[in-house]
Order: sequence, then structure tokens, then C-alpha cells
Amino acid sequence: MTAPDPFEWTVAALKNHLDAGEDLFVLDVRNREEFAAGRVEGRTAPPTLNIPYFEILEAGGADDLVEAVKIYAGRDLADKLPRGKPIVTVCARGGTSAIVAEGLRAAGFPAVNVAGGTQAWGSLYTSLALVNSPALKVWQVARPARGCLSYLVACHGDALVIDPLRHTDWYVSFARRYGLLIRSVLDTHAHADHLSGGPALAKAVGATYHLHPYDAIHPIDVLPATISYEPLRDRQIFNVGTSRLEVLHIPGHTLGNTAFLLDGKYLFSGDSLFVGSIARPDLGGHAEAWTPLHHDSLRRLMALPDDTLVLPGHAASPGEAGADGVFGGRLGGLKRSNEGLRKAAGSGKEFLAYILASLPEFPPQYVEIKRANLGLIEPDEDRAGELELGKNVCALESRCAK
Amino acid sequence: MDAPKADATLDARGMACPMPILKARQELGKLTPGQILKVVATDRGSIKDFQGWASTSKQLALVSQVTEQENGKDIYVHFLEKKA
Repeated sequence: MTAPDPFEWTVAALKNHLDAGEDLFVLDVRNREEFAAGRVEGRTAPPTLNIPYFEILEAGGADDLVEAVKIYAGRDLADKLPRGKPIVTVCARGGTSAIVAEGLRAAGFPAVNVAGGTQAWGSLYTSLALVNSPALKVWQVARPARGCLSYLVACHGDALVIDPLRHTDWYVSFARRYGLLIRSVLDTHAHADHLSGGPALAKAVGATYHLHPYDAIHPIDVLPATISYEPLRDRQIFNVGTSRLEVLHIPGHTLGNTAFLLDGKYLFSGDSLFVGSIARPDLGGHAEAWTPLHHDSLRRLMALPDDTLVLPGHAASPGEAGADGVFGGRLGGLKRSNEGLRKAAGSGKEFLAYILASLPEFPPQYVEIKRANLGLIEPDEDRAGELELGKNVCALESRCAK
Repeated sequence: MDAPKADATLDARGMACPMPILKARQELGKLTPGQILKVVATDRGSIKDFQGWASTSKQLALVSQVTEQENGKDIYVHFLEKKA
């Protein structure tokens, strides 16, 4: 067995250090635009400094990056970098930040590099068993870099996956490890903020892929999907072993938006209701027309029993996780704590005014991501990474502000 | 648009970050002010990085950036003018 490299952390190790709330400092050497789109953070955001490597190179004035870092860090960063705690260096792929870490160590700072950089961080998945009875198991599968959540439901060896994310190998090997046969793959809606792994995962494991037909038309292009899918319909039942999953058609975020209710107890709410906020209804370009649908749909969800466990498609911030690490909450509690849900309890007119006042910016790449999810374009790996840079913005403003 | 006439060319194909900028910086050191360095790269990240570098460095200006096709793959061509 080789000893772990003391100067390098894997992204999984980084996540553990961050979640444990360890006292560390991040030096991110990517360009300013990439940094602005998203940084590494765990349950809390560590103190972070962004200095692009080419600025360090120029300021250090050496032909060799290690030497430039050593000069620059010793002269200009002496007051900015802490002493006595790990300085974690981050770049896009981990190569440049390894050189920067070496330069920092040469200048006397204890620096560790993140192997694979933000690209590896963006492909990190974590799983947490939130139901773990002998018959029924439910895992919440998170992609922390993007705040995306997906779910794996298994009962007596039969499994179903909800909203799988792009790196489908993760789900395939997870299912293999637990001896699960994935029979169905469901998307709660056609996603705009991330590339769906749904069609590819279904194909890889021989499962059927399901989407509501209203979401199989691109809302901006008004073009039909070229992917193949089985149409979801309201009140449809999926049997998973002895468990039952009911489809609820809840238009608003999209026209074909759905949620899934498992055994009357667990609500996979997709992008309708989040822990601290509600979904935005404007990504199809029709905020005013779709808001009344969103209002009706949220009220339909609010009529479910208060002890229903709401399990959303996104985490707005890492801090939304409970003490057990699960992103979710009981419906009764959310009715009190969630501002959007409180507004949904009021009149349609007030709800519309609230929505229109709370819409965040519309990320331009969201139009293209939805094209990819409907099979209208096929981005390569580099382009996929660019489209998925940073955090999702599917929720209303109230919880998006940093 | 006609591509600018280059006085020197750096083949940075296959190089990963930070090599395209490190090598370009060394090549620029050999040129005199006003001369143009053409950098041919395969690293897609070089587009934003050359923009950022040019905006922070006094020793060069970014004249143009072009994406071309080579054997079905994108290559990124950067034209830098040596300033000081």
C-alpha cells in the first residue's frame, strides 16, 4: 500500500475536511470568471482568496511558476495568507495548483493541492441512506459542487432512480455494489440547470426512461425532443418491490413538472419545493403565465400530510442539510419556515407579485442545457463541463443570495 | 477577417495549463515591442486564461483569438502583441 501523498488531497478528502469544519484556507488560482461561477465549499464556506495563476506569474516575475509563487507569496501574500493552517490550492484540473502549492511550501506556507481541481470536485458524488429498513432503502445522492440532488429507491432488490445526474457510471457501480436491479429511471422534469443522466443511465442498465410529455418540447425553441422516453402521467403508479411510487403532475417550474410520492410518506419534490425556498417558474420564458400553475401545484403539495418528508432536487446552500446530513424537511415544518410556501398559502395575486419580485438572473446557458437534455444538441465533455460550471439557480432569489 | 501576421509561432498543442502561458511568456521575452506571437493550443481553458493574462499584464496585448478545426477537433489560436 502506498502512503497518501501529504501534499495532495482527493476531492473526497477535501469534502470531509470541509464538512468537519476544519480550519483551513483556500487559494483558488483559476481565472476570475471561473471562480465567480462557483467555489469549493462544504457545509460552511472556508475563507478563500482568488488570485489567477497568470497574475501570480506576472507579479512574481519569474519564468518558472514555482519560483514566481515563492517570490510573490513571500513578498505580497505575507499578510493575506494565514500562518499555521493548511492552505488548500485549487485550479481547474489540479496541475497548476500543484505547482502553486509547491511554491507556497518553498515560501514556508503549509500548502496542499486538490487533485483533479474543480473538474474532479464537479464530478464528486456522495450518498446518504435516509431510509434503511430491511425492505425499503432510499439514498439521497448529492453532487455538492452543483447543489444537485438525486435519489435511488430500492425495495427487495428492485430499484428506481430519480433525477440522475450526468456521471451515470456512479449509479451503475452503486447499484452493482448493493445488488440492485434498476428497472426505471425518472426525471421529475426536463432540467435546465444541469445535464440529465436519465436517458444514458436507462440505456446503460436496460431500464425505461420516463419524462412528462409536456416537458418533451423545448419551451424556448418550441422543438420536440429527439430522446426516447415513456410519458409520465398524473396518478400513475410505479411498483418498486412492495413499495408504491405515485406520480403527481405539478406544473409551474416547467409545464411537465412532476413530483413523486413514495408510500404516501416521502415526497421527491424535484424543482417545486426546496427546503428554504420554492422553484422559479420563469426558466421556460413564461413567468406570468406559469405562476398560477405553480401556485396551484404548491397548494396541492401543501394538502399532503404534515409529516410527509420533502426531498428536493436541489440544495440552495450546503447549510440546508440537517444534523444527519440529509437535505430535506417535514412538510409541516416547511409550511412555517419556507417563505415561498408561506406566500403560496396566500392569494394568487400576492403570489404572482412575490414571484415577479424574487426572480434571479436567467443564466443564458440554461437554454442550451435543456436542448442537450432533450437530445437537440450533444455537447462534448469539455462543453458539458462549461455548461455546468458553478451552482444551480433554480430557486427564487431569497435563498440564492450568498 | 484576415489573421494577423505572426513574427513567431508557439506550438502549444497537447500542453495543459499552465504550460501554454508559461511558454508564451518565455517566447514573448525573445520578441521586440510591436511583434506578434501566434500561439496554437488545444487546451480549451486557454481562451479565458489568455484573456485574463492579457488584461493583467503590461507586457502584452491580445490581438485576436480564433477557434479552428484540425482533424475534427477544435484548436485555439491566440495572437499576442509584445508591448513592453
